[in-house]
Amino acid sequence: MMIKIENLYRTFHHDDNEVPVLKNINLNIKEGECIVLKGVSGSGKTTLLSLIAGLDKPSSGKVLIDGEPISKLPDLFASELRAKKIGMIFQHFNLFEHLTVHENVTIPLIPSGLKMKEIQKKVDRALSLAHISHKKEIQAGRLSGGEQQRTAIARALVADPDIILCDEPTANLDRDNSLLFIESIKELNRLGKTIVIATHDPLFEHLDFKSTIIPMADGKIVSSYDDE
Amino acid sequence: MNANAFWHFLTLQLVKERSKHLSVILISMMIVFLLSSVLFISSSIRYSLEETLKVQPDFVVSRTLGGTAIPTPMAWGDELLEIYGVSQVTPRVYGRYFFEPKGKSFLLVGVDFMEEQSHKNLQALIETTDIKAFFEGKQMFVGQGVKEYLNAHFYKGSYNFLTPKGQFENVKFFKTLPSQTNLISNDMIILPLDLARKILGYDEEEVTDILFNVPNTDEWDMMTDKLSALHYDLHVVNKKEVQRSYANLYNYKGGVFLILFLILLATFSLILYQRYSMVYSSERRHIGLLRALGWSINAVLRYKFTETIVVVSVSYILGVLLAYFYVFVLGAPILREIFLGGKNLHNIVGFLPVLDFSVLSSIFLIYALPFIASVLIPVWKVSVTDPKEAML
Repeated sequence: MMIKIENLYRTFHHDDNEVPVLKNINLNIKEGECIVLKGVSGSGKTTLLSLIAGLDKPSSGKVLIDGEPISKLPDLFASELRAKKIGMIFQHFNLFEHLTVHENVTIPLIPSGLKMKEIQKKVDRALSLAHISHKKEIQAGRLSGGEQQRTAIARALVADPDIILCDEPTANLDRDNSLLFIESIKELNRLGKTIVIATHDPLFEHLDFKSTIIPMADGKIVSSYDDE
Repeated sequence: MNANAFWHFLTLQLVKERSKHLSVILISMMIVFLLSSVLFISSSIRYSLEETLKVQPDFVVSRTLGGTAIPTPMAWGDELLEIYGVSQVTPRVYGRYFFEPKGKSFLLVGVDFMEEQSHKNLQALIETTDIKAFFEGKQMFVGQGVKEYLNAHFYKGSYNFLTPKGQFENVKFFKTLPSQTNLISNDMIILPLDLARKILGYDEEEVTDILFNVPNTDEWDMMTDKLSALHYDLHVVNKKEVQRSYANLYNYKGGVFLILFLILLATFSLILYQRYSMVYSSERRHIGLLRALGWSINAVLRYKFTETIVVVSVSYILGVLLAYFYVFVLGAPILREIFLGGKNLHNIVGFLPVLDFSVLSSIFLIYALPFIASVLIPVWKVSVTDPKEAML
């Protein structure tokens, strides 16, 4: 089992109030699966994705990545796990806008201990997989939304992770670019990557490759799927 | 973390965010420059004074009556010579000669060129002087400031002194005193004892004071007591007292710089606050993002620490080099006036290059430690929060 989620709860504290965002989530994701977490804003899908990536800590329960409880690992190991096994694509792309495409894609590999030559090879490969090699010397802040998305994909792929997590990946894209992104996901899935997408975009409802839609509402995985 | 990749990324970030770093470097450099300049000047002056005072005679005796200095009898010199441990007794005539009644004045010092001098610089001056040529006519040594001032008033080769008896004494310039001694000799004129007596109105058997040395410093306190017992109207000053009065004078000047220091510290605090806030605002998201991309807390801290060290070192080195150039090459225009201003004649003191490494390292610590802390503390705080929260 690639990702195993057991009795996961996440509660935020606002003033004196407790706001439960995730309630008793249990989920098993196998290697090579493509999972679409579907739900309206506030349903808890982004929080769940953050917990899987180890960017946030659960209030209780655990997330296991290849049997390793990511939220309970010391920082050094959790960071290493994140760097080697997880590639993350954010809703707002989160690129360093003053750096070029090539430089942005290099960042996850800086602490890896690899030599510059090896890093260059991996970066070139990732740029090529994300179809953004032709823009590699352009500053990220000058790219279109679609190009920024492809740069973010290249950055997520550069360490050749097994898991790709995408948080609302098409929220800032037009339809054509959204379809292009779905094509990229399809290609990654074909390469055997485990993919988890948190989205409310209807385009992900009828993917032409094997995927599982997991509807979420009110911090829970719901058995029936309600279109928004 | 591979060193090459790390330095590659660090250099990249420094170059790409140069406008942010340059402004910090420039302001910090100015602070280091001002701090270093002030310390260079004060170290240099302290050194020059110490060097100048080293060659001064050990004791000066003069005659006072009712608290007023009056001419000292030459005969006291013979009495002093009889005291065991006293050497190089030298009578001296000196006084202020006013170029204009309310204007600039020169310090006239009359010296017996035939006697061994207790003042080492005077002794050296006499030894290097062609005495025969000096006594060919009425001649004098002049300080740099005197020479410039008289030249500006069209006295190119000589000057006419007016004696209290209403006669003119034309005295030619023989040599200019070395510029290294400007701190003391800038407004000084050295001339033969008899000539000085005439110009300042002293009788033949009178001098202003008598200088002498006591090589055994353990004897100094006892010597003061012995001398005081010699004549009720004898006033004695030893070199240590002179050193103390000079130190007090420059400590007072140092007070002016204390204010400057405080202003600089306030400015520096603002920069630190700005750096501190910057980490919390614009750099917070970047740190969170690095953590989300797999950078450990250690890696982020190492990166930010090295980046800060580079910024701090560059601004420190540039600031110190600039200060060195400003003080020791340009002669510290403007700042010099605070230390040496208020002088009778414009002083053209060249600051002797003195590098006090303990002072330099203190500046580095005073400047670098708070600066590094103001960056690393917020970076650490942001790094240990969950990356998701940091990226918000």
